[in-house]
Amino acid sequence: MKLKTKLTLFNAISKLVIVVLFVLLVPLLIKRISRNYVDNNLIKQQKKFLQIVKDQGIKNYIPDGETYGSYYLPLKEEYLTIETDTVPGHNIDTIKNERRLVERDTIDYRILSHTFEIGNHKYLLEIGKSVATLDETSAPLQNIAFVVLIGMILLTILADSFYTNRVLNPLGLIIKTKLIGQKFPNFGPYKEVRTSTSDFQYLDISIHKMIETIEAAFQKEREFISNASHELMTPISILQSKIENMFGQEDVADELKVRLLEMLKILNRLKSITKTLLLISQIENEQFLKEDQISINQLLQEVYDEISVRLAEKNLTFDILVPENVTLVNVNRFLLFNLFFNLVNNAIKYNKEDGEIAITTELESGNLVVNITDTGVGISPEDMPLIFNRFKKVRQSMQQDSFGLGLPIVKSIAAFHDIKIEVDSVKNVGSNFRLIFPLQLVKK
Amino acid sequence: MNVLIIEDEEALAHELEIFLNTNNYVTDVCHNGASASEKIATSLYDFILIDLGLPDYEGLDLLKEAKKNNPDAACIILTARAEINDRIRGLDLGADDYLPKPFSLLELQSRMQAIMRRKFGLKQNIVELGDFLINLTDRTITCQDAVVNTITKKEFDLIAYLILNKNRTLSRTQLSEHIWGSVINDDYDSNYIDAHIKNIRKKLNVYSAPDWLETVRGLGYKVKMNT
Repeated sequence: MKLKTKLTLFNAISKLVIVVLFVLLVPLLIKRISRNYVDNNLIKQQKKFLQIVKDQGIKNYIPDGETYGSYYLPLKEEYLTIETDTVPGHNIDTIKNERRLVERDTIDYRILSHTFEIGNHKYLLEIGKSVATLDETSAPLQNIAFVVLIGMILLTILADSFYTNRVLNPLGLIIKTKLIGQKFPNFGPYKEVRTSTSDFQYLDISIHKMIETIEAAFQKEREFISNASHELMTPISILQSKIENMFGQEDVADELKVRLLEMLKILNRLKSITKTLLLISQIENEQFLKEDQISINQLLQEVYDEISVRLAEKNLTFDILVPENVTLVNVNRFLLFNLFFNLVNNAIKYNKEDGEIAITTELESGNLVVNITDTGVGISPEDMPLIFNRFKKVRQSMQQDSFGLGLPIVKSIAAFHDIKIEVDSVKNVGSNFRLIFPLQLVKK
Repeated sequence: MNVLIIEDEEALAHELEIFLNTNNYVTDVCHNGASASEKIATSLYDFILIDLGLPDYEGLDLLKEAKKNNPDAACIILTARAEINDRIRGLDLGADDYLPKPFSLLELQSRMQAIMRRKFGLKQNIVELGDFLINLTDRTITCQDAVVNTITKKEFDLIAYLILNKNRTLSRTQLSEHIWGSVINDDYDSNYIDAHIKNIRKKLNVYSAPDWLETVRGLGYKVKMNT
């Protein structure tokens, strides 16, 4: 998952949790706050009342001879009663919710009860506020709180995503321009990603430094190969010329010539290895153009022309079952020729007398697949991972005159063209090399 | 034929000289670009062999100078820098051929003769061998008016190369380098040449015995021809 997605997701979830908590807690809180407020109010009223009674006497509230006085607001949302308390030793000082029956209406009140004495008389004071009015005032409060909360949360979500977008943008840019779409080892010139985040600056410059190191290493390798080729090819060239000149001389005895030939043969081996290694490194350094258009059938025909004598030696059947209109584009002819040559050459080398080699094509999910199937000795499963390694002569028991670079050449050429290779093989039955050509190499 | 050899590797230049002299070429040798530049400016040559990797001179500049001062000379680039770009640039600048090091001296001679045929004469290059007439220009073989059409391209290449180096024994290695030189593969086995020769003999025998195609025991093959 991308960092940006993760952050946005976390952002949304955390906000959601806050909303849920708020929705659960707000009614409780508001209830509590308004109850405190009401209680304080009741106590204030009680104090005021007691002050009035102290100043003016109780008579204002309880007419003489009566034991009870009550005062209601017209809608009964508040009331005050006072009565003589006849129960001795009974002192009350509470605030609680109770239900009262007032003129046939049952109403829930928040009631303050308080006993006090004036003279010898003891009185019970009750001040009540209807709970309904309390709720009435808290409900709009709650609603306003919700609306404000939602608004603020939407605002923070917007702000957050805007900011994370902005702040993470350089990271996206670094990934897009420095990592994805860069083809190893050809990186373009360094372009600084503009950011004020020091971590990203550090990341950008570190990636750049690593690329520079890699490029320097590649440059060195390229130079080394170029130098090595010159340094090796020239002495080989001198040796070859010397031997050839000696071989051509009239007065050299035949037995000496045989030995000169052996030298020439060994020199040739050295030359082949050097040339092959050079070719592989040149491919890996992308020093070839991919501009040719070729018909696979025609190319295989050319391979056949080169190799027919080897097929005849083992009396092998060679079938090219490739439609003539299958054409490859954006490839290097020289390299593809060598790819097929080496695969067919292997198919011959590891085949049995009177065996078969078949080359077929098929379409598989839009890709072109070329199969090179032989009836040879096959490859054992434990050797399979090694066959593309340089100088690994897996099938050494065959005593072939080769140096184990055939399949590495094939692998390099295939990788250079983005061709995938799959190998199936059954020991002593045969092998099947599947070349999977990507769409862009196949002419429509 | 005058040949200028521009090669900083003295040992190689020396071998080239020996080889070309025994094949009746007159040679001049330069081991550096400066003296080569002088030679190019003052003398006329039929062939100029240029090593691209000179220590004191850009080889391609020499090629330009040669094209200016020696317009009739055929230029062959010799290089160990087996880079495709060099090749394209060299041929763009008018080099007649390009031979990557290490090359066989016989290959060099065969390229030089090909250029000569191309440049100096359109006359048919026909060789008479026993009852066979071999046309190296049209690449055809006839035997007493019968056209031999069973010979493959590779087989003809072999015959032509042997004829080019007539009376000289060519080893299997030299022959296989000539006909498979451009293929990069991991065989250094040249025994397939024997199979080719066997096939050639079998095919020609249908018309007449190709006695001129000799096996030199232990060494290789040669085409015997009276000169």
